[in-house]
Amino acid sequence: MKPLRISRRTVLRGAGAALALPLLEIMQDLRGHEDSSTGDAVSGPQRIAFFYIPNGVVQSAWNPVDTGPHFTLSPTLQPLAEIREQVLLLSNLGRVKVAGTDGHAQASTCWLSSAAPDELSPDGYPLKRTIDQIIADQTGRTTAFRSLELSCNPYEDNKESMYFDNISWYGGSQVARSLRDPQQVFNRLFRVEQHASSKSILDLVSEDARTLRPRLGLRDRDKLDEYTDSVRTVEQQIERVQQRQEELRKFNPQRPVKSWQTMHRDEFIQVMGDLMILALQTDLTRVATLMTAPERWSTPLKIEGWFERPIEHHSWTHDQGNEHIRNDLAKLDRFHVEQFVQLVKKMSRVADGETTLLENTMFLLGSGLGSGERHESTNLPTILAGRAGGRLKTGQHLRYPRETPIANLWLSLARMMGVAGDRIGDSTGLLNDIMVT
Amino acid sequence: MSPPPNTQLTSRRLLSPPFFPLMALGLCLLNSRLVAQSRFDYNTVRGRLPVAAATGRHEGESDLELLGKSRIQAMRPYGGQWSGGAHLLWDGIVGEAMHSSFDVESAGVYDILLRCTVAPDYGIFEITLDGTDVRQSIDLYGSQVDLAPLLKLSDVQLPAGPCTIRFKLMGAHPQAQKFQGNKYLMGLDFLELVRKDVPRVDAPMEISAIPAQGIAAPGTVRKSNPPDPVPSFSAAEFTATMKQFCLNCHGKESVEAELDLNLFTTRESLMSRIDTTRQLREVIARREMPPEDQPQLTDRVRQRMLATLDGVIQDYLKKHSSRSPVVMRRLNRYEYNNAVRDLLKLRGDIYPLPEKTIRSDHRYFDPATGRFPKSLAVSNRTLGKEQIENPILTGVSPFAIDLQADGGFNNRGSQLSLSPILLESFLTLGRSILESPEFDDYCQIQETFFSVSDESTSEQQQAIARQRLGSFLEVAFRSPVEEGVLNRYHDFFSARRQQTGSFSQSLKEVVAAVLASPRFLYLCELAAEGPESQLSSYELATRLSFFLWSSLPDETLLATARDGSLLQRNVLDAQTRRMLADPRIQALSQNFARQWLRLDQLVTAAPDFDRFPQYYSRIGCEQWKFGLQMMIEPLLLFESILVEDRSIMLLIDCNYSYRSDELQAWYGDVLPFADRPNRDRFNTFQQQYRKRSLQDRRQGGILTSAATLTMTSSPLRTSPIARGAWVATVIFNRPPPPPPDVVPPIEADDKAIEAQGLTLRERLKQHQSNTACASCHAKIDPLGFALENFDAIGRWRDRYGSGLEIDASGELFGTMPFRNVIELKDQLLDHPEFFQRAFSEHLLSYALGRGLELEDAPAVDEILQNVATDHGQFSTVVRSIVASTPFRYQARSPSPPPTPAEVKTKP
Repeated sequence: MKPLRISRRTVLRGAGAALALPLLEIMQDLRGHEDSSTGDAVSGPQRIAFFYIPNGVVQSAWNPVDTGPHFTLSPTLQPLAEIREQVLLLSNLGRVKVAGTDGHAQASTCWLSSAAPDELSPDGYPLKRTIDQIIADQTGRTTAFRSLELSCNPYEDNKESMYFDNISWYGGSQVARSLRDPQQVFNRLFRVEQHASSKSILDLVSEDARTLRPRLGLRDRDKLDEYTDSVRTVEQQIERVQQRQEELRKFNPQRPVKSWQTMHRDEFIQVMGDLMILALQTDLTRVATLMTAPERWSTPLKIEGWFERPIEHHSWTHDQGNEHIRNDLAKLDRFHVEQFVQLVKKMSRVADGETTLLENTMFLLGSGLGSGERHESTNLPTILAGRAGGRLKTGQHLRYPRETPIANLWLSLARMMGVAGDRIGDSTGLLNDIMVT
Repeated sequence: MSPPPNTQLTSRRLLSPPFFPLMALGLCLLNSRLVAQSRFDYNTVRGRLPVAAATGRHEGESDLELLGKSRIQAMRPYGGQWSGGAHLLWDGIVGEAMHSSFDVESAGVYDILLRCTVAPDYGIFEITLDGTDVRQSIDLYGSQVDLAPLLKLSDVQLPAGPCTIRFKLMGAHPQAQKFQGNKYLMGLDFLELVRKDVPRVDAPMEISAIPAQGIAAPGTVRKSNPPDPVPSFSAAEFTATMKQFCLNCHGKESVEAELDLNLFTTRESLMSRIDTTRQLREVIARREMPPEDQPQLTDRVRQRMLATLDGVIQDYLKKHSSRSPVVMRRLNRYEYNNAVRDLLKLRGDIYPLPEKTIRSDHRYFDPATGRFPKSLAVSNRTLGKEQIENPILTGVSPFAIDLQADGGFNNRGSQLSLSPILLESFLTLGRSILESPEFDDYCQIQETFFSVSDESTSEQQQAIARQRLGSFLEVAFRSPVEEGVLNRYHDFFSARRQQTGSFSQSLKEVVAAVLASPRFLYLCELAAEGPESQLSSYELATRLSFFLWSSLPDETLLATARDGSLLQRNVLDAQTRRMLADPRIQALSQNFARQWLRLDQLVTAAPDFDRFPQYYSRIGCEQWKFGLQMMIEPLLLFESILVEDRSIMLLIDCNYSYRSDELQAWYGDVLPFADRPNRDRFNTFQQQYRKRSLQDRRQGGILTSAATLTMTSSPLRTSPIARGAWVATVIFNRPPPPPPDVVPPIEADDKAIEAQGLTLRERLKQHQSNTACASCHAKIDPLGFALENFDAIGRWRDRYGSGLEIDASGELFGTMPFRNVIELKDQLLDHPEFFQRAFSEHLLSYALGRGLELEDAPAVDEILQNVATDHGQFSTVVRSIVASTPFRYQARSPSPPPTPAEVKTKP
């Protein structure tokens, strides 16, 4: 497929008012150093990003009736019309729900988990290092940031535990914390100078950790390892960000000025998405997750321009027998698809070497529940956009046999990102038909 | 955990892990010893007597209502003679009057003592008391600012309730100067009531704060006479009983709740699955099993079952006494703030935190006085304020909040992980504090620590820095300073000093590094020999200060760690009592109580805008919620109990509450501001919260507070299941299991339900025709329906809107019936062990930073013995927890490591 030809005007329009993406001409110089382990020299570095929507979807409005390249878009998937050649729709992938922990908490926490259903963390979740982090182990060898975790959790209360609020984990109890303030995200990525002054402090405190460790109990040593590992990561980060200091300074993107609390819902998601795209296009990282909202929470939420009253996402999922509510819920699903499509379109307008960012990215929309009504974890909504350097067979709808583990998809994505291995969790094989052979 | 408002049915998943947290091993259900013949009056439990021994003293600055032009003036600049260091100040022109009111607890004849202030610009006043014939003139002119002689109004007959006193300005002494052209002032230090018609008793009805023998040592629990022992079953009898009553549902053929009890018929099998055994004991003890529609156990059989299971559990505990270790925990952002504030002796917080709900311009919280003000001006920081609150130090902002563990707190080591992002935050945060332009003025050790004489030589400065760092690191790391550590930090200083040329700047950089060190950020306890060992004195001091203050040990506490005396039980107890009287103890309200009550949920509670317009008030373009007034009430109740060392049972039912006028009106029959337009409907900023005497027992305590009732409702109706789950979690520490996969919907609007001629209760019942749902909901729902007389915004209603009757009756644990919320409170007061146990467990879990387990049961039993003996006195709960074994000892993590080796986490 040919890269889209676009004008500078389109880029600025697509980027939204809150954050102006910089000019294409400059962007072309911004790719990091080629890394032969991920992607070949022709297509350039490959990126992967995950876009999470909570509480499942209205299945009846989501599922297309037919499969193949000419599948009919279902009501919820209408926004895909413009980009259908660049997406793959996958049906019937699922995961095994494990008894003993809350269905919603498991949905977010274990969606990307590399654990099999019988590998439980101390708190009872089938949870090990998540697939994005496994990929980042590979891609993060050269990028400044090994991965980027973002969240548009809009709630100002703290109703639920961390298991409802996170999709990315380093391990069974170590969460890869996300940022939800766009200004903080921006500072982290582009305020280069604030990293540098930390270096001497890091030398000092890692010595503290080193001398402390042998005197701790075993469990406490694991805790301290979180600290020392983080020190190591941040040290690398500082070094690599400094190497790219000059070009980033030239790049000079604008800091988002509005506080997220005053943004409309769609604006918040788009600004966060813009920052994610910025990080990917500048090759500051090749792995990102964006959680649009946490699981359950049951707190009414305003979605300006779409709903007159605050929505009650979670409560609605349990009242889908009511046609009126079901319609509202499907509309909410469409809202999320629409946000995703906006970001895909932006990626298609960002140049990446000879091609576009979208061509070299896999951007996946998904949820840890098929439907929130019965907390089913079968037929998880899954849309994969981008072409992975031309290796993905996009433009079709594939329906797998029921019970096909979504781990098969994770395994396939990991492979395409250059990760070796034949198994992830309960995977039974690769999804060969999504890949160009 | 917080079940969703619309989750109306739950399947019977009885034995999922979180369902049965640690519960009594003592036969609390069968032990009727604590049921009082006539109910004990918990209002009389009061430990710390007010400093002014007279119980009827009303301080001008804190206990009298400030109305009109009245305000508080600090008087310390004029000397130390004013009680409380402040007085009530008023000014006006001749003819105007200062008026205020105070509460009279009971009707009677009193002498009223008035202590006023005199000054050159003070006037002559006529004092009157509404409803009496008191009329007394007083000239407050004085050539210097000082106290006036005590004025006594003798033998005044006062009715109970609020009484208004007036000071009318009549003129002034010829030598008096005018204030602001045409005014004169007055000042009132305090007003004191002395009862005349009954003999005064020095400490009437007070329960002694300190048990004669101090807190009982482990193993020397004060024991009551045990009930006659109930014989255990033989193995064959036990198996037969199980077969008869349990295996029908939990047997091989049909395995309800994923529980096959065929696996539990021998003593060995019960021992090997002790958690299930414990849960089995609980459902039988609480008569939750067998379910209603199945053959029931006789009392005798039930008791013998319990005796059998208790025997197994006791045996288990004899063999397995080791508790699970406290995992080294990272500071959360509340603790980080307090620790940095106290380490650097800052004048206040480093950043504004919504966790500190109550905002006040003056320090109302002073536990050393043993008295909580009767009136105080406060506002709510949390609701809406967060976004517009300016940073305290430029460039300093908090890191993200750590979320609470399910049914627990956000200080659990196992859940407080660290990631690169967070480490970056710590690095940036530490530097931003030290570099902020306000820092030097804000830091009270700027002169003594960060500065050095210009004339000192470089060598002298090196020596000074080393000496200062020595003592600084001891506090920061809560441990004796090792030579190697000191060298490292001193070398860092020297290198920076060489580069920057500035002593002060270099020392600041050292401090920024200290704030990012694992020794500062984690509560480290070093490994020792043996399976369980006493904490070192420094470790114990650290646990204690983070439990009580969410901060570092102060110098006094550190001194007892340094000389090791803290390991002596009497010294530990004395330190605990000292710390309970320190203002930093407010952390228990801000950090513990707020989380325990799940008050956070009120922040986003959203009653429907059209159905409950009175909940909203528009200011500018933003809708503010009445929740911001509600949220303060339970916190002030908690703080008053803490400061005055009253009984925790007042949290269940209480004859007073702190409310603003508008909040008081909220509880009334007619809401005075309901008809007002949306704009500026109610006060959203600072207002006066006053102590109100409550006669109506539908009110009082946290269960029936508007805050609780509103945050457990959905927008268009109450949610009895969410309310029931809240009660089960908060009041009983028995959170219900996660909701099931299939949850049938219930109409979101009670009008739609009532239109079918059904009450919400009947509607829910329809949905529970399925036994699996019903048996679980039989436990949760009655707790919620007991509160059904309160609507979705916490206002009382006799009937539903449609006129249907409200059924608020129910039964606690199959044995304690109630018809309404007052009787529910009665049952809780008559069986105080339930709440006292739950509260003690919550606080112990908070103190340790981990969840509780079966092995903690004996320690909880001991704590509960003390708490019950002192009728739930607050300080007894705290002191018993501090004295307990789990608090003073560290269990060592087992070897090999508990989690199987997995992909090594390497962020």
